[in-house]
Parts: sequence; C-alpha cells; structure tokens
Amino acid sequence: MSLTPTLDPISIEVQWNRLISVMDEVDIAVIRTAFSTIVGESRDFAVIMLDRLGRSLAQSQLSSPAFTVTLPATTKAVLKHFPVETLELGDVLITNDPWLGSGHLPDLSIVAPVFYKGQVVAFMGCVAHVADIGGRLDYFDARDLFEEGLRIPPSKLFIAGKPNTQLFRIIEANVRVPDMVIGDIRAIVGAEQLGAQRLHEFLDDHGGGDGFAALTEEILDRSEAAMRNALRRMPDGEWRYALDADGFRTPLHIEVKVTKTGDKIHADFTGSSDQFKDASINCVPNNTFADTYYPLKCSLTPELPNNEGLFRPLTVFAPEGSAFNTTMPSAVKSRSKSSFHIHVAIYGALAQAIPQVVQAGSGSFWAITLHGTHPDDNSVFNVHILPNGGKGATARMDGLPTIAFPYNGTVTPTEITENQAPILVEHKKLVMDSGGAGLFRGGLGQSIALRVLGDRPIIASIRPDKVRFPPPGILGGLPGAKGAYAINGKEVPVEPRNVSPGDVYTLVLPGGGGYGDPHQRPIESVAADVRNGYVSPGVAGRDYGVLVDEKSGTVRRVPQDSEVVR
Amino acid sequence: MTSRKNFRLGFDIGGTFTDFVLIDEETGRTWLNKCLTTPHDPSQGVMEGLGPLFAQASVKGENVGIAIHATTLITNALIERKGARTAFLTTAGFRDVPEMGTEVRYDIYDLFLAKPDPLVPRNRRYEVSERLDKNGQVLTPLDEASLRDVARALRADKAEALAIVFLHSFRNGAHERRARDILHEALPGMSICISSEVAPEIREYERMTTTMANAYVQPLTREYIDIVERGLKEMGYARRLYLMMSSGGITTGQTARDFPIRMVESGPTAGVLAAIYFGRNMGLDSMVSFDMGGTTAKIGMIKKGQATKSNMIEVGRVDRFKKGSGIPVKIPMVELIEIGAGGGSIAHIDQLGLLKVGPRSAGAMPGPACYGRGGADPTVTDANVVLGYLDPNYFLGGAMTLDVRAAHEVFEAKVCKPLGMSLNDAARGVFEVVNQNMLAAMKVHIAERGEDPRKFYLFSFGGAGPAHAYELARALQMRGVVVPPGAGATSAMGLVTTAVSFDFARSLVSRLDKIAWSDVRGVFESMTKDGLAVLAEAGIAADAPGVSIVHAMDLRHKGQGHEVTVPIPEMAFKKGSMTDLAQLFYDAHREKYGHAHTNLAVELITCRTTVSAPPPAVPLIHIPAGAGGAAAALKGKRQVYFSEVGAYLDTPVYDRYKLAPNVRFAGPAIIEERECTAVAGPSAQVWIDDFGSLYMDIPPRKPNSAEGVMNDVANANA
Repeated sequence: MSLTPTLDPISIEVQWNRLISVMDEVDIAVIRTAFSTIVGESRDFAVIMLDRLGRSLAQSQLSSPAFTVTLPATTKAVLKHFPVETLELGDVLITNDPWLGSGHLPDLSIVAPVFYKGQVVAFMGCVAHVADIGGRLDYFDARDLFEEGLRIPPSKLFIAGKPNTQLFRIIEANVRVPDMVIGDIRAIVGAEQLGAQRLHEFLDDHGGGDGFAALTEEILDRSEAAMRNALRRMPDGEWRYALDADGFRTPLHIEVKVTKTGDKIHADFTGSSDQFKDASINCVPNNTFADTYYPLKCSLTPELPNNEGLFRPLTVFAPEGSAFNTTMPSAVKSRSKSSFHIHVAIYGALAQAIPQVVQAGSGSFWAITLHGTHPDDNSVFNVHILPNGGKGATARMDGLPTIAFPYNGTVTPTEITENQAPILVEHKKLVMDSGGAGLFRGGLGQSIALRVLGDRPIIASIRPDKVRFPPPGILGGLPGAKGAYAINGKEVPVEPRNVSPGDVYTLVLPGGGGYGDPHQRPIESVAADVRNGYVSPGVAGRDYGVLVDEKSGTVRRVPQDSEVVR
Repeated sequence: MTSRKNFRLGFDIGGTFTDFVLIDEETGRTWLNKCLTTPHDPSQGVMEGLGPLFAQASVKGENVGIAIHATTLITNALIERKGARTAFLTTAGFRDVPEMGTEVRYDIYDLFLAKPDPLVPRNRRYEVSERLDKNGQVLTPLDEASLRDVARALRADKAEALAIVFLHSFRNGAHERRARDILHEALPGMSICISSEVAPEIREYERMTTTMANAYVQPLTREYIDIVERGLKEMGYARRLYLMMSSGGITTGQTARDFPIRMVESGPTAGVLAAIYFGRNMGLDSMVSFDMGGTTAKIGMIKKGQATKSNMIEVGRVDRFKKGSGIPVKIPMVELIEIGAGGGSIAHIDQLGLLKVGPRSAGAMPGPACYGRGGADPTVTDANVVLGYLDPNYFLGGAMTLDVRAAHEVFEAKVCKPLGMSLNDAARGVFEVVNQNMLAAMKVHIAERGEDPRKFYLFSFGGAGPAHAYELARALQMRGVVVPPGAGATSAMGLVTTAVSFDFARSLVSRLDKIAWSDVRGVFESMTKDGLAVLAEAGIAADAPGVSIVHAMDLRHKGQGHEVTVPIPEMAFKKGSMTDLAQLFYDAHREKYGHAHTNLAVELITCRTTVSAPPPAVPLIHIPAGAGGAAAALKGKRQVYFSEVGAYLDTPVYDRYKLAPNVRFAGPAIIEERECTAVAGPSAQVWIDDFGSLYMDIPPRKPNSAEGVMNDVANANA
C-alpha cells in the first residue's frame, strides 16, 4: 500500500467498513467473555472507536445507542485529566463519574489508547453497565450521588500495561458481586486489546496515523453533511410538546421546543421540572443530549453508520439545575426514568413536521434485580431481568409487542432466571388491550409474575415506569395501557424489599401508544386483533368503533358519532 | 452394463437447478447432470434428470448402492410460509413467549423494524396446567383431563401439526411425552413434535421456535420423502433414501421424517463437506471454504477435517442479510455465513456519496448488464469484465458472449458520472467494495470461532469464488487459495462423500463440582444409545470399524452469559474427573479468548454427542501427467487490473484443462475453465497437484510493527 492515502469514495467506503468490522469483532469478544447477564445477555454496553481527540468514528452494529453518544464526551473529559501526550503504551483509562460519563455510576467508561509508531492515533472505548457498583439497593430513594455507590474519577485502570492494583481492590471492596464486576472489566479490557491489534493491522494497510487522520475527517464531514442534507429537506419551524411522566414521588414534567432552521436543529427543555431532591431520576447533560439525538438519528439518517459527525447539527439546551441538566451531587441512578421520555417529547414536537417518521410512546423496559443467597448452596446470586413493554406505533406499522425502545437489550430467559435465582416465574404473557388504539395499534405490554422459592426471603428491586402516565399516542392515536405492580395482588411502594418465600411479585409492563385515528383502522385488522386476543371486543367497539361478534365472526363499523356501549 | 452395486448417487434440489452426481466408489469416476427444478413436483425433475445420468454412466438404478438427497424444500417452506397448519401447546402462562422473543432489536436505528410472525398464530397457541422446576422435579402435575379440551379445539381448528414445549422439559420430558401420547390417541393423524426430543436445550424461546418449526415442516417433508422414494423405486433403486442434514452428516429417511428441521440449508452444507473431502485427499485438514455464486457468498470453516458447527440458525428472515431478523432454530449446523455478495450484486451510490455494492442482486434475470438481457445496473460481474478478470468470449466456456459495451455504459452512467471517476477506478471500486463486504463478514466469523486466518487456505468454488478468492486471502494474510477441479459442481460432491452421522444435544445445568460424573455420563450414554440406533437404522452395527462417538460439553464460568463448546477427549471421558473437565474448559477458554478465571467454578449447560459411521472411501482421481509445463496451457495474454500493484498488468491466461500436475508458475495469471475463472495476483505462486487442484500460494507478509498492543493486559493479575 502506498504511504499517501488516497481518499476517493471507494477507499473511504472500504476503510470505513473495515473499521466497523473491527468494532464488531470487539463486540463479540465482550459478549463472549462477559460475566454478568446485564453485559453478556442483556447487551447493555457499547464499543466504540475514537480518534486521538476522542471523536467517535465507528461502533459495533448492536451497540447500545445512548452510550455511543456519551462516550466521545467522556473520552474528551478524561483526556483533560490525562492529556494524550502523557499516555503510555498499555495505559487504560476509566471513569464512572455521571457528569463525565453516561449519567449514573453503574456505567463504566473504559478507554484504551492505541499506539502506532510511538504515537496515540486512536482509542478503543467501551461503556458497559456492570452488575453492581455498591450503594443503596433501591432505584429511587438516594438523596444524593454519594448514596448511590462508588464513584471513580478519571483514573488509570492499567498503567503501562500493569493493573492499577489499588483501584482494582477498591472496586472489589465496594461492589456486591466482585467476581462479576471484575470479570466484566477484564473482558472489556481484553476486547479492547483485540481491537487495538486489529486497528494496528488496518493502519499498516492504510497509510498509518496520517491516513487514519484523513479518513477520520472524511467520515465525520460526510456524516455531518448527510445529516444537514436530511435537515434541509425538512420544513423550517418551531414546534412544542409537553408531557408528564411518572417521576418518583412527584411527576416529571417535560417541555421541549424544537427549532429547525436550514440545516440546524435545536432542542430547548426550558420549562421542564427542576432537578429532584427526593428521587434519583436526574439527568446530566450528556444524557439529555444523547436521548435528544437518538430519535433524530432514527428519523433522519437511520441507515448511516453512527458517529460524531451526525451529532454536529444538533444543539440542546436545558437550564442548569433542571431535571435535564442536573448539578453535582444530585442523585441520578435511575435517570432513564427521565431520559427515556425525551424521545417521546421530540417525536411529539416533530409529528407536525415529519409525520411519516415519528413514533408514538413506547412501554420501554423495567429493570428487575433479584439478589440474595441461594438456598441450594448459600452462594450469592444477583440476577437482572430486563423485560420490555410494547413499542409505539408508526406511520407504517403496528408497534411490536414487548421489545426494547429506546434502549436495546435482551430479556433474560425464564429458564435461565430460574437456574440462577430461587424464583419460579408463574407467567410471562401479553396483556390484552394494552396497545394504544390507532390507525396503527401500539405494541402490547406484558405481565410477569415471580414467586419466591426456598426457605428465605430475597431482595427484589424493581424500576417501573409509566404506571401513572401511560405512553402517549401520536397524531390521534390513543395512549398505551399504564403499568402496574403488586405483591400477592396488593399494591406496594417501589422500594427494594424482602420478598418472602411463597410471595408472588407481579409486574405489568405498559403497552405502546397508537398512531393516527383508530376509526381509520381497517375493520379486518381490528377483527384480526380480536380473534388473536390482542384487543377485546369491548375495546374494539369503544376505541375503534368496530363491533365484533365473536360467536358469529361478523364485524361491522359503528358510525363514529353513535354511542357505543361496552 | 455392470452388475456392481457400489455407485453412489447424490442429488441436490436447489431453487433453480437440480444437480446430480454419480460416483463409482471403486474408481472415483464421476458423472454429473443438471436440470431445472420443477417446484410443483420436485420429484418429477429428479426422475427426468436421472435417466440421462444413468445412460451416460451405463448404469441402472439397481447398480446404485446408496442415494443421498439434499433439498431446499424445508428452507423454502419456512420462507414462503407453506408449511402445515400448526398449533402449539405449552406450560400455562407461557403461550406468548414465541411472539415476545428475546425482546431485542436487531437494528437499533430502524423505527420500522419488523419481526417475522411466529409460525403459529396466537389463536392456535394453547396452554395446559403443569410445571417442572429447574431440576425437572414436578411442581404441578400435568392436567391430563384438560388435554381433552385441547384435543377438541385442535380438531375444530383443523390443525395438521402440533408442537409441545413445556418449561424445563430438557431436564425431564415425561410431561411432554404424556401429553403427546394423550393427544396422539385423540388425534391419530396429526404430526406431534415434543421439545424434549427435537431440541432438549435450555432457553425456552429458542426451544419453542425450533419445535414449532419442526412440526411446521413435518407433514410436507413426510409426504415429500415418500414421493421421492417411490420415484427412485421406479428407477430401479429399491434401497433406502438418505438425506443430508444441516449438521453435515447423512441420515435415513426415517430420522429425517422425525426431525425435518435438521435438513434446513442442507444444500449449501454439502459444499463444505465437499471441501472436507477434497481436503482429506489433498492433505489439507484445515481450510476456510468460500462459495460465491450469483447472489450470495457462503463461508464455512474446516478444522482438523471437521466442519465447524454452530448450534443455531435463523430461518425465514424478514431481511435476508440481517442477523436477528429471523426465527431462531436450535439445531446442530455446519456453520455457514451468508453474505449478500455475488456476481449479480448491484453497485449504487448512497446518501454519503460513497459506493455500495449489494445486497440487491440482478439475479439470473435480467442478470448483469454484460449478459445483454436488459440489465440496467452495474454489477460485480460487469466490474470483473472491465478489470479483465473475465474473458467476454469465454464465459461459460464460450457458450455465452458478454456485452462489454453494455457493462461500460452502465458503469459510466451509474458510477463514473456521479462519483466523477474513470471507468477503471469505478470498476476497481466495485471489486474492492464487494471484497471488503466479504472480508468484514469473514473476519468477524473467524473471530467468533477464535481462529487465526493466517493458518488456513481459502478453498474456493462457485461461479464467482475463484475470481475473488486471491484478494480475500491476501487481505487476511492466509496461506493461499485452493480451487478444486470442477469448481462449478463442487457442492454435489459433498453428498456422495459424506458419512452417516447424527448429532444430539441435551441440557443439564449444574456446576461441575456439584454434580456426579455418573449423572453426566448417563446423559451422554443415553444420547450415544440413540445415535447407535440411527446407525443401526442405516444398517451399520455399533461395533463396525470406524464408528466414532464424540462427546462435548457446553461449559462456562459460573455466572457468565455464554458457553464454550469443549470437546471431551476419550481419555478424559473414561476418567470422568470433574477437575480435569474444568481444566479442559479453562484451557479452551484461554485458547479462544486469551484468558480464563480459574478461581471461578465451571458450569455445565449442555451435553453434546455426535455418532458417525466412517466416511466412504471414495478415491479422488489423479489427472494425467502432461508435458510442456505451463507453456502448453497458455492461451494468450490480456490486460488485467491488480489492486496489489494498483495497475493493469499484461497477464498470461491459462487453460485449466491443459494444466498438468506439478506445473508451477508465478502470478499474475488468469486460469480459465468452463464454469469459472481463477485470478492469481502478482505475488501468487501457482501450482497444480495430482488431482488437478489449483493452488495459489501467497508468501507471508513481513511481520509488522507489533508495538502499540497492550500485551497481557487482560491476563495480568490484579
């Protein structure tokens, strides 16, 4: 290969594709070697390649979306503490500071410089949600960050190839499942090492550090231009939307004003709730930005490989001290209780501008953590199950039932859960009528019932959402059904609790919102939904104006203005 | 006409063509035939193709000792949703699991992401009260009385097939068996499949989809095998029909009737088996197989004479080339990755102004622009014509003349103009981009196996494979490329050279240090017994020479999310020491990922057993020696582009059929045969072995600067 890089559209395509495949290899290495279910099975991580300035270039194709937006910011912040010129071969950097990282302590950002001919040319980065980071077991009740666990300021996890033993010991001493957490950290570092090797081979083939720098600019500039083009095709304007979400003790109010001018777009969250003093649901600016960017990326440039160039046309403002720009040391552990509603607000605002590519609100995931000692052998178990509600409907299709959005991850199979924790899953099923009515129906949510087995209580922590305020419909669609939870049929406050042997914890996850006027939904689709038990005959009549006689199988539409009795 | 009975017949019904191969087991002489597939009644095409084949070889049906069949029937039934009206019965509370799935999105930015509909709609999914715990102990007995209601509903539903999947049934199949027996008695005509037989592995969603898929294709497979067997009988072949399994073994019609889902993708699998057969004869026991045709490229791996296997495949994908968009099926598979890259793959410019190739393909109709059948899009084959890889006058041995001007025109209009580049740069671009697409997939695949490509040859076949193989092998720093003789008909050879064999898997979840070896051995022994029964079905005694029984365990560090399949050597199996088994896991994990955590306990998830007969001893024919060396095969010279040097070189063109054993020459070179053209780059050392296989050796690259890698970081003790 020649030393002067030739960056025609073909070389860029070929080299860029290769960088993505490097990250896919790193991703596989993480998955295959990770210890915790949250990383290994739930995929709550991202692996990203960054340039020497900490700008993101390439990520694995299944990287968790929000992390891919926060890590470049994290890397730049960490490099302020450890300037790139001071890094040594074999250094690995780490932080979980929420304000620098992805907004709460369990997310470790781990970044390793890649050296080439004595110079740092790039970084291999990973953000992963580890199984435990110490602190309180509950999800919401911390009064400040210090109650939420171990905070690791920007630090060297490895120094010139040697582990920072003290830091490892501090982590080990502060988490409930040190084998898992340290196992995951090592899996990540090992995977990044593989990525460094692969990037090395790439640099040998494609003009070394200079070639890489030139490629970086091309990737970022072309991506930015593509996003700007997409924005130009959208009408200019200013759109507002407001919604309320559960919050914790008090609801969270979200207000957004989206302004689009030419090839720029700005989101302003002024008017949203102040930061919470009594609930761990505050968002750092990195989160607010990431969750504002995500719906735009999905709507405007879904096929393009993700990188920092696509972020550039977006600016975001939230007043300091608000729930979306919280200040140290606010409690943030369950910040996705707030951040996961941002896309709903953005789509609500953009529904008038780009109705073909917006989506109604989704049920999203609830975190369930089961912790205790196993009656079989007294070993400690810590199992995460991340079930999902239904997805919001879009202009082209019904929402899918029980699928991750906006986060992405795999639910832990029942048989795996039962093998790891003394739990019997009594049912896991779709909830009839939970999908919001619409021209396109919202996806159904699910109900899960967990019975505790054995001779001792276990600690169950859950993080529900959309129990007070359901996922909204869009453009005339109705909201999905709200969630609910109960122990032995009785409503309980959300806090980690000892659940005794024989007790049954039931969780009902919300359905997705509908899209468009339900009365426009084809009568055959409504009838099929009734036949399959997705919609009851009563709701078919009430929400869709379609009368279905289950016995005779006849269906007819009721004139819209007539009174339908359930 | 001979009276011998040792001819082997293989036939592979593909989407477009049915391929036949007949081989004389004694001499290795082969006869080939190809005819159009007759989708309405595939057996008709078979009978039509067999006549000429038998005539050509002067044999009759009764001379055939064994007939082996591969088919796309199952794959297509799943894609086209043409299977049986299937119902599903599961533990109360879980009928929605097949629809809920893993809850993950396979594309994180696609708002309109679609998932395949479950094979059984919700209104045909039934529940029954029963429950086992994780150890297979009964918590709730099977409600036998309520099964009568289920039977009634199934009858009213006109269900033709039923899949029964209960939680934890891989530990104890009693409830599933009892439910099957009761329902079978009530509905004797219905196909009933139970998960403890079809896929006794942990993870209920995948076990459900697998059992459902098996039930879904069972009625049509049964009928189909009957028809084919009858047809063969009419042709004078009265013995048993054997079928190619996705796991790379062949098995009897009876086993295939019971587990039809195990035949999915059996055709492409045969290609890998052919590679194993050639490799065995050529003394190459480890290779990467690369089969590139018109629409897709398929890549497999062979290690120590065995195809690497996986335990899952997706069927009926919504988006053919998107992993995760299909229905998961847990069966032992020869692992093949399929990439949307073939001769017909279409080049286009994307939103970023970059050149993309595929996965859309011009297919056979209209085909690439140079076919002159109205193809209006630039394809890989068109690029290969521009670059000099293909001779427009010797396509399919001259049976078809390629329209070079048409190729130039579509390139000018659809690539050169929008990108402002020359024709040659545009064509080079298409070649490089499609290669990179394949390389990315190959690298990830090889990485998933924890292997180093530098150890392997690339065994290349299919219409387009040998033209692209050199560049792929060079980029991966592989040893070189091997193109077998008759690279256009390689796959069918896999059918007639493969052994009877069957794979079993059964989950048994426990820490190794908390379970007695006798319990584990019991599981292996029961699978071995079943395997020997499959061999007995095929008339092979358990103590016949060469029968092999191979055991493996899926193991992981306790708490880890995924398992590693660890083969258990015979000695270790005999000894049955749990400590030794744990050590085998640590070693395997270290080999694959560079580290292991010996302080953590090892957890067993699944036991696996493969029972195989020895492969048939079919000789590979030596090609005759020739005089005159390479010069005798030289057809001429033409200008050919090579990425390696970034220029067109005046390149000699050889006639493959005139290259004799031990002929050697240096690249660059073009070697032409009827069905394909091999391209050897400037650094290739080309030679021919005794069987007529073409080698393109690639000298190893100088080791590059290894600095910058964090040595041992992951292994260092904290």
